[in-house]
Amino acid sequence: MQSLNISPSSGIPIYKQVLSQVERMIINGHLSCGETLPSVRQLASTLQVNPMTISKAYGLLEERGYLTRLRGRGMVVAEQTQTVSEQGKVAMLSEMIDQLINEASLMGVDQESLLRLMNQRIKDSTNSTDEE
Amino acid sequence: MSQVISINNLSKAYKKQQVLNNLSWEIRAGDVIGLLGKNGAGKSTLLKSILNIEVVEQGTIEIFGENNQQLSCTNKNKIGYVPQENDEIPWLSINDLVTLRKRFYDQWSDEKVAGLMQRWDIDGSKQVSELSPGQMQKVLIMLALGPLPQLLILDEPAAALDPIARREFLKELVELACEEEISIIFSTHITSDIERVANKVAVLDKGKICYFDELDNFKESVVNLSFTHTKGQALAIPHLLRSECQGNQTHCVVSAVDQSWLDQLASQDVSYHINQLGLEDIFMELTR
Repeated sequence: MQSLNISPSSGIPIYKQVLSQVERMIINGHLSCGETLPSVRQLASTLQVNPMTISKAYGLLEERGYLTRLRGRGMVVAEQTQTVSEQGKVAMLSEMIDQLINEASLMGVDQESLLRLMNQRIKDSTNSTDEE
Repeated sequence: MSQVISINNLSKAYKKQQVLNNLSWEIRAGDVIGLLGKNGAGKSTLLKSILNIEVVEQGTIEIFGENNQQLSCTNKNKIGYVPQENDEIPWLSINDLVTLRKRFYDQWSDEKVAGLMQRWDIDGSKQVSELSPGQMQKVLIMLALGPLPQLLILDEPAAALDPIARREFLKELVELACEEEISIIFSTHITSDIERVANKVAVLDKGKICYFDELDNFKESVVNLSFTHTKGQALAIPHLLRSECQGNQTHCVVSAVDQSWLDQLASQDVSYHINQLGLEDIFMELTR
């Protein structure tokens, strides 16, 4: 959890930053099932943010099924059902792709060129991994 | 949660200059509030009025449910205050200052004060007159925290602090906020101080609290919207603060996002994009 990177001056509320970063860590396996998260107080103190921000993020992660509250242990990474983690991956990637589409449209790049570029990049990256 | 402070129709003028104009505000226990306002907006006047340092001319203020002009000693003991300007006796040593201040309170934590002195590197044997403004500010904050207050009012507390001391101070505020039931109001014009620590933001402008909400809501409602029109149609944008047109693009700032209105745009061939703003930009937009 030390690797959380908060930028308070960004327009994105801090609870959302914590939420999406922890979500990502769970989806990509950096935090594994059964692992205990720091208490609200500890994390607020480490990140130097208001504790309510952290409890808000934890509450939402619990609601979405990523965390469970265990008595005497605090917040623990929940067992991820296949569907939850699949859905999570899809949602996370969709969000990133949406950003990309939007950037492209602001630059005036049409969808076809974007798709072509995307395919090219995928081809390039598979080639370079093959070479390694 | 109970109200810690409630202000009703407060007005205040200096000579002919109206500073606070029919201001009403409620503060609940447990809130950490950043009070933003331009220079001269009346932040200090408001805080001093709450504390009855400035006499209320019109309106009423209640603290812990009591009128602030007849506050009981029990409730006075629960308040800590850091003034903007230092008016401590110059020839007193810091240790003497602590002893003196302690005698005014029923409750005082020597442990807290000693801990802060050590962490903030405060030399108790030095005289008030020997300290730099930054060092003095730390002393004033330390003195305010001595009685373990339930209500802490800070007037530009971090203004004179260097970046390291400022971080230390904000860290202290976070620690305090972790303890339940303490309410903190701090005025500042440095928005980044608020963004980490406060859970609510109040904006004082033209004599009133023109905005008071959770910081997260604040950031999610005041945003930058960009539209791309295909047909060059005019848009009636709800909650509009400001807009500018460039060819087939409109850039604007709104004070609230009307999602159902945005959803309708697709049928009119208008695409939009929401860009979130940092607190500093939001503050500028609201007080422009």
